[in-house]
Amino acid sequence: MDKLRNITMSAVQVVLLFFISIAMNWLAELLHLPIPGSILGIIVIFALLKMNMIKLTWIEQGANLLLAELLLFFIPSAVGIMKYIPLLESDGLRILVVVISSTFIVMLSSGLIASRITKRKESKAS
Amino acid sequence: MITALLWLALTLLLYSASKRIYQAKPRVYLSPLLVTPIVLVALLMWAHIPYEAYNSGGKWLSDMLQPATIAFAVPLYKYYNVLKKHAAVILVSVLSGSVIAIISSGLLAEWLRLDHQLVSSLIPRSITAPIAMSVSQAIGGIPNVTAIFAVLTGLLGSIIGPYVLKWFRIDNEVARGVLLGTGAHGTGTSKAFELSSLTGTISSISMILAALFTLGVAPMLIAVLFYG
Repeated sequence: MDKLRNITMSAVQVVLLFFISIAMNWLAELLHLPIPGSILGIIVIFALLKMNMIKLTWIEQGANLLLAELLLFFIPSAVGIMKYIPLLESDGLRILVVVISSTFIVMLSSGLIASRITKRKESKAS
Repeated sequence: MITALLWLALTLLLYSASKRIYQAKPRVYLSPLLVTPIVLVALLMWAHIPYEAYNSGGKWLSDMLQPATIAFAVPLYKYYNVLKKHAAVILVSVLSGSVIAIISSGLLAEWLRLDHQLVSSLIPRSITAPIAMSVSQAIGGIPNVTAIFAVLTGLLGSIIGPYVLKWFRIDNEVARGVLLGTGAHGTGTSKAFELSSLTGTISSISMILAALFTLGVAPMLIAVLFYG
């Protein structure tokens, strides 16, 4: 019984988050904001939680469910690769080189910068 | 409508099966993000079914990306104090990482003489797919192609990330989170949550910040660097 209640609760909250995302898209367009609705949504929901206008329990279960299954929502885009197979046959290797090298450079630089700053802060503190 | 529902059901079924396999045997090549699309593409191509037919059902899942992005407000709120404590480190390193991502993707793609539209589609590849698509649109790329590059980045990043952590002995949790979230957005963040919940949280905020920074600076940076 409890399990059923949990599932229903999560589903209701997912639907709620879905309608919030539609409202945020609409709002971003209406106000001609330079940011997409999803980013506006993060900011608005975060602010509402901070100001105690909404309670964490209203959306927490649904949000956790969406975040746990995040990979699922990327799958249709990934299947879209089939439309670009001719393109990937000619440029695939070069694209792979760009993605791998750039990802490596980004990870190494952001990771090293962060660990240097943290180390300096720690040695200052001690 | 019926076929759309069938494709949706098949995707869900394959996803939950591959997720179960991955949980039993967590190897990179068994990632649901790799296995599910490969099986689906093979099936569609074998049966000569166009992507559009599949996507009539698949798009309902893509539509969930937006509420899922908004859901990141919850961990942000819950770990606000931890994040505030490390705010300076996170801001500086994620901003640098985002700028480096834009420049390195753009320059490498240009050096390898990729087509102009492909260069623009590659530039926002390091951030979460829905926002990468808006950036791509704004700078003259093809949003759908960018989505694929973003997914590819996430996948390869979750393979490369752990090696970078090991080889360069990055053992600080904040630095690890920044590295995974800035480099490999959502997929990097799920990897980060496997390491620790603090690492995962830092990774979530890094991925959101990286998306915001890229959205803000990419058009300007590209104007200066590539068309200046």
